[in-house]
Amino acid sequence: MFKNTPIYWKLVVTSIRAKMEYKVTFLFLLIALLFYYLGQLGVILIILVKFKNINGWSLGEMAFLYGLLVFSQGISTLLFSSLNYFENLIIEGDFDRLLVRPLNPLLQVLASSFELSSVAHFLIGSTALYYGATRSGLEWTFQKIVFFPIALAGAVLIQGGIRLAVAAVTFWTTRNRSLVHTIVYSSKEFILYPISIYNFWVQAFLTLIFPLAFINFYPSHFFLARDSSTLLFHPALQYGTPLAGLIVFAMAYALWKAGINHYQSVGN
Amino acid sequence: MMSDDNSIIRVNNLSRHFTVADGKSGFIGSIQNLFSRRYTTKKAVDDISFSIAKGDFVGYVGENGAGKSTTIKMLTGILVPTSGKIVVAGNVPHINRAQNARNIGVVFGQRTQLWWDLPVLESFDLLRSIFRVPEDDFKRNFEELSETLELGPLLKVPVRKLSLGQRMRCDLTAALLHNPRILFLDEPTIGLDIIAKDYVRKFLKMVNKERETTIILTTHDMDDIEALCSRIIILDQGKIAYDGSTEKLKIDYVREKAIEIELHEDDTGTISIPNVKLVKSTANKKWLRFNQDDISVQEVVSQIMRERRVKDIAIHEPKVGDIIKNIYANGKAASQQTKLQKTLP
Repeated sequence: MFKNTPIYWKLVVTSIRAKMEYKVTFLFLLIALLFYYLGQLGVILIILVKFKNINGWSLGEMAFLYGLLVFSQGISTLLFSSLNYFENLIIEGDFDRLLVRPLNPLLQVLASSFELSSVAHFLIGSTALYYGATRSGLEWTFQKIVFFPIALAGAVLIQGGIRLAVAAVTFWTTRNRSLVHTIVYSSKEFILYPISIYNFWVQAFLTLIFPLAFINFYPSHFFLARDSSTLLFHPALQYGTPLAGLIVFAMAYALWKAGINHYQSVGN
Repeated sequence: MMSDDNSIIRVNNLSRHFTVADGKSGFIGSIQNLFSRRYTTKKAVDDISFSIAKGDFVGYVGENGAGKSTTIKMLTGILVPTSGKIVVAGNVPHINRAQNARNIGVVFGQRTQLWWDLPVLESFDLLRSIFRVPEDDFKRNFEELSETLELGPLLKVPVRKLSLGQRMRCDLTAALLHNPRILFLDEPTIGLDIIAKDYVRKFLKMVNKERETTIILTTHDMDDIEALCSRIIILDQGKIAYDGSTEKLKIDYVREKAIEIELHEDDTGTISIPNVKLVKSTANKKWLRFNQDDISVQEVVSQIMRERRVKDIAIHEPKVGDIIKNIYANGKAASQQTKLQKTLP
């Protein structure tokens, strides 16, 4: 697989260049995204100004929680955004073409679209992280510096895995637009706030079944040195993000592999 | 037929069924679709077996939905068979997908293999990387193909700006850059004008001859078959209705012959021969039709020559397309097959 790395890079560069043929579209997307996230941030700020904290989370801590979500979302958007449009590859029959090339089909799909508009996520995400860490007086110990990229990778794998699983469903259903909207886009709304504001069942769901809480809620406890004894199941969950990421992605990849074997292609 | 050890493709009892769900739309619908069990099964390919020898040029024909594309997609590793065995140049396509991809070239008539927004030359360069063709081999191969197909002026043009004929030339090149042993073509001449069709046919003939590339072609255009294929496999409703040489198909299957006669101006008589049908008649032109099981061509011609003063005579070879139409028209596949097996050795 690694001997093919230069080829994937070439494909990535190609897809970026192809996209840059449509510069105006790109610019508008970027601006729209920035406004979207600023709006989201605005809502959280208004709540905080009014109530001083959300379920015991101060302004700085909320900013960090939000930053972790948006920054990891930036990476997963950069890498996995093509999966959101995977339906088109199936409907147009273009997936056939990827199967008659001696490269991994999934990596070809991922390389076919590198979403540069995730610059918006990185801008907003890193600003929120920096502001949140500073304001809440986060102390960057050695352990935290080491764990940060690992937790980030885990969070990206969770989000990538979810996108992959939703894309894989297309092999059976041919269409998955509505699933993309519900599961990939809208579900993020759940973790804009600390999940401790929800009842037990929602928290359990977001931890065990649809483990979005590992993207920002649990690792934030570690980074912000919050009291982890209040966590739902076990204090160790604050370190659980990498493992959760691996499990989600492995399951999604298994579903994807099964999907390829079930692939029906389209008629002419 | 060819001996077995010479075969490059072997297909045994191959079937592919499709389950068609009674799909519901919307979010709730797509969730329901995941669990609902209301499917109907369609046998796109139904227990077929054949083998193809190295260097063969095979026409794979059938009506829409007969299972042509499905077979090609299984041979190229795109689809996984429901049952049966496939070996293509030593690989099972859907299992050793990557290895199989190196041995085959694929051209889908309606879809390009090239990158829509990139100049042609860059697509070729990407394919060179993907198939890891050594620089020297690539150069030699590319120069040869580019010269034969006159690609020079097209190389800097983005693919989306090419005409269909130009794109087909580029797609053919793309499929051959890694010098595959087998070339699969799905409707390569669809939508092309007559000149472009002729061009593509000549090129394919050359590839088959000079590179000794085994070629399998599906087409609706019977002139493609007539011009190119030494062997033809006819598919009807997922089953093989005929498999043999194109020549044999004409000799064995179609016993119908048509004769067109032009008489001298002063000869206004008619022609009446038992078992021969007078299809159309003008003052001095007659069109006849008969079945060779009832009367031989020789007998018909000699009788006409005796009775009339003939100015010109033309015996029409049946066209492969008409033959195939006949196969479909004259009842269903099953009855045809038994009839065919009787006429074939």
